[in-house]
Amino acid sequence: MAELLKLENVWAGYGGSAGSVVLEDIGFSLEDGGSLALLGRNGMGKTTLLATLMGATHFKSGRMRFCGQDLAAVASHRRAALGLGWVPQERDIFASLSVEENLSVVARPGPWHLQRIYEMFPRLLERRANMGNQLSGGEQQMLAIARALMLNPRLLLLDEPLEGLAPLIVQDLLRIIGRMVATGDMAVILVEQHAHQILPLTQQAVVLERGRVVYSGASDALRRDRSRLDNWLGVGVH
Amino acid sequence: MKTIDIIHDEHRALASVLQALRFVVGEIRSGKLQPDFRLLAAMVDYITQVPEKVHHPKEDDYFFPLLRARSAKASALIDQLEAQHRDGTRMTGELLQALIHYQSFEASGFAAFDALLQHYLDFNWQHLNLEEGELLPLAREALSEADWQALDTEFSANFDPFSGAEGEYETLFRRIVNMTPAPYGLGA
Repeated sequence: MAELLKLENVWAGYGGSAGSVVLEDIGFSLEDGGSLALLGRNGMGKTTLLATLMGATHFKSGRMRFCGQDLAAVASHRRAALGLGWVPQERDIFASLSVEENLSVVARPGPWHLQRIYEMFPRLLERRANMGNQLSGGEQQMLAIARALMLNPRLLLLDEPLEGLAPLIVQDLLRIIGRMVATGDMAVILVEQHAHQILPLTQQAVVLERGRVVYSGASDALRRDRSRLDNWLGVGVH
Repeated sequence: MKTIDIIHDEHRALASVLQALRFVVGEIRSGKLQPDFRLLAAMVDYITQVPEKVHHPKEDDYFFPLLRARSAKASALIDQLEAQHRDGTRMTGELLQALIHYQSFEASGFAAFDALLQHYLDFNWQHLNLEEGELLPLAREALSEADWQALDTEFSANFDPFSGAEGEYETLFRRIVNMTPAPYGLGA
């Protein structure tokens, strides 16, 4: 498959050129339709890396290529149109729109359309007429992911989609995300603290420690390396 | 070690339903929720069917005999776990009976169902902890690469706890997720 995203020697942070550096010398690549688990303890730079891809941080140096284009040269407001779909931790759904309006308002042509979304998320079909602010936390998370899919992105960025949800909903969402990833319709970068839950769903993994990449390779190999998992993520026993 | 991943996955699926069941029954006990017997029946059905049809047979038929053959140290622990599997089957049967009684006699039947459920939850957490905390570490030490490959083949042939052989548990699991009140589920 063709290379979709490539980062080389990326340095980025917050607060302009005199501000703080969070990401140091980041490098990895992702193929079209591929899947990558972005792992690390709290505060290691995972969300900052997604924000850097979306243009929401101060990019200091390095190279970021997406679909063959220099991503750093693309204004942040144009990156969604380029094919980047971002589901931030805050979800940010439109509270005053119905579920169906939330989905329709962002729709772009591609394999993900309303009917397919409802097949993937039957709960949203049941709640299609409800307003965004009438949804439970789990339903809001489903809507946030579904809305990003309606953009038909080439690369979907999911930032801790399981955070704060009850185990029953986590299990349901994990299964949906697994199916979504398996379609290969788009590449996916999945940020999560619970490595054991997402490594089985992804092909590749990157582990960040203090803003640097300490592992970049196959998810399966990392899943089997209990000592390194324990060392980097504290998940050796689960 | 796909075997261990599958065991973890099945434990997580069961634990998520057990946790939701504890929440729902706790809300009924405190008067915040009216009993929804369709939901309670679906939950009891799941925690009965998945261990009996999916989870325990793989452990009883493949994992335990192999580990017993490789580690004398594991023998007493496996005896205990096999007995717990039998007790678990009996207890979920009793739970189902208590649920039927509760449905027939409504409020007066709740106490017996609640007491059995709390007992079962304690029993089951202890069982899961014993497998996760003692059995799996022992197996990691005692089993060879070839042993794990043989187990992986047997375990992979089995269906996952969400779908079942013909998708029957997927429908059941989704019904539970959709009916369980928020924040534990997606229901109202």
